[in-house]
Amino acid sequence: MDRLLEETTDRLFADHVHKATLDAAENGEFPSELWSRFHAASLHLVGSPGSDTGWLDLFGVLKVAGRHAAPLPLAEILLAGAIDGAAPEADETRTRAFTTIATDGVAPWARAASRVVTADGEASTDFASRPNTNLAGEPRDEVTLHNATPAPVPEDLAELLALSRVALMAGALERILEMSLEYARVREQFGRPIAKFQAVQHNLAILAGEVAAATCACDAAIAACGTARFSVEVAAAKARVGEAAGVGAEIAHQVHGAMGFTHEHNLHHFTRRLWAWRDEHGREAAWQARLGRRIAAATADRAWAFLVDG
Amino acid sequence: MKQGRLAFDAVELPPEATALRADVRAFLKAEWPAGCWPNSDFGAGHDPAFSRKLGERGWIGMTWPKEHGGGEHSFFERYVVTEELLAAGAPVSAHWIADRQSGPLLLRFGSDVQRRRYLPAIARGECFFSIGMSEPDSGSDLASVRTRADPISGGWRVNGAKIWTTDAHRNHFIIALVRTEPPGENRHAGLSQLIVDLRGEGVAVRPIRNLAGGEDFNEVLFQDCFVPDENVVGEPGNGWTQVTSELGYERSGPERFLSAFRVFVEFVRAAGPNPSEDAAALIGRLASHLMTLRRMSLSVAGMLQNGESPAIEAALVKSLGNDFEKLLPELVRQKIDNLPWRHPLERSLRQTLLYAPSFTLRGGTREILRGVIARGLGLR
Repeated sequence: MDRLLEETTDRLFADHVHKATLDAAENGEFPSELWSRFHAASLHLVGSPGSDTGWLDLFGVLKVAGRHAAPLPLAEILLAGAIDGAAPEADETRTRAFTTIATDGVAPWARAASRVVTADGEASTDFASRPNTNLAGEPRDEVTLHNATPAPVPEDLAELLALSRVALMAGALERILEMSLEYARVREQFGRPIAKFQAVQHNLAILAGEVAAATCACDAAIAACGTARFSVEVAAAKARVGEAAGVGAEIAHQVHGAMGFTHEHNLHHFTRRLWAWRDEHGREAAWQARLGRRIAAATADRAWAFLVDG
Repeated sequence: MKQGRLAFDAVELPPEATALRADVRAFLKAEWPAGCWPNSDFGAGHDPAFSRKLGERGWIGMTWPKEHGGGEHSFFERYVVTEELLAAGAPVSAHWIADRQSGPLLLRFGSDVQRRRYLPAIARGECFFSIGMSEPDSGSDLASVRTRADPISGGWRVNGAKIWTTDAHRNHFIIALVRTEPPGENRHAGLSQLIVDLRGEGVAVRPIRNLAGGEDFNEVLFQDCFVPDENVVGEPGNGWTQVTSELGYERSGPERFLSAFRVFVEFVRAAGPNPSEDAAALIGRLASHLMTLRRMSLSVAGMLQNGESPAIEAALVKSLGNDFEKLLPELVRQKIDNLPWRHPLERSLRQTLLYAPSFTLRGGTREILRGVIARGLGLR
């Protein structure tokens, strides 16, 4: 990913995603201020045709978004822009205009969107939405399209959506590792920082291993965009990173103690998202089975070659 | 590494590594037409004739300079050869240690005489080394070793014992970490590494049977064993620095997550081309771990290629990989019924379960590795 783009995105979220922004979004309030900032920086065009940026940048932005738990439907906005060129026009009067993507009748932030594309290949600006949320409190609205027109979507849209959650999870995992290390260094018990206790150190070492594995699996899948290897890498990444999300969130909470269980603390904005994102667009078991069937079909004597060469 | 964050940058294998992979596969197919040997543990098969064949092909000492019998290949090419050998379950134990760490150690710290004497022979697959670190009273606390080398005319007189010395009964040399000065305030000072002839005078090798019935490791006893000055590796007293420099090589390779790979292959075979949803999910789960571990391990090979000393990253790969090697047979056994012992899956499963306790002990225990990682995270 382009270094400047990464820094710009990181800075923007660091400056504009606060505890209050997250709480308001989880109460159903669209973060207009954040969205206009994002829009004004032209970040909504990342990955769209003619933007000079590609998949690496698009999923890179999502990783950064995950690191900040940015409460916008960025996966859907950016993917919609990339797949059908329907990125919202730079219309000054309608800076809120964006397209979201519906899967099985559910679309993130449909309540605030101006257009819905479905994974089945339809689109409309005329739709009804009923508010709903995932377990992290992120809007996942039920939508019914009226006067829908065909909107061709790529065959691998399911993979692209799954990878969006992988990237978000990888970012959030990096963040909860940072938070846990920081907390362990400042929280004192028995007269010393809990980071000095071997039991805590070992848990943090496990967390670091899961985070490193998640980042590695995520990067491999992103690098495979547009290659014949893409579906295999995404299946492996969604399965592996989903596992890491569960293990990682558990340890982060254990390190943070009761403080991390409060609503006041920031940790849950990341851990609840990890629990939600590992389920969205295919749980671990679904992607594991998909990958496993490919390997079984390749047969045992080709299993190694499959893992290495595809 | 950056403080508090371990990065495993993606590496792309160079084309020559891919070409080499095809050669190794063709060689293995010719050597073992049935497809694969019965195990994928790097310690499973000691076969000097096989090691010599690898030597003939230039697949030992691959990264070393040509003047020392090496091939001046990249760490990526070496990686490809080692992972193909392990995945096939080839008997690599004889030359494994010499190729992986004794050779690189001599290359970095050894004298010209030592390099000329040992490296070409190692690369030919004719000279095999064992590791001489652990002692009966020194396991994870390596700096507490008590084997002594006292200076005498022309060399050193060694007394003490090493233990868990894999293949000491059939390898040629051991590089023993010994005390050449009494322990002082700095317990890492006063240690040295000596090359000792395992068949020489004053050396006794006693086999130790393991719980699987195998006799791979040994106790090695030194009684007034004379070691000439020319067999000191590097500077006397520099042993600690040298021995810890071996760890990046020792801990990050594919052998740290492939020990149970044979069970995976046999499970895929038993599940057949149209597996149940459950079996497919397990295959996929294990594959997702294997693919990720391999990338991380390759990333460390890239760091070695760049001349870095990725001790912390290597510890992390080994720790994750060893835990996976232990998890794999546990998950597989839950998904199958009892099988006759001759069944390939049952055989590999039994073998792996019996050896599994060693996975998180050899080459650094899980506890030591987590401590290394914690230090890397800035916690200690």
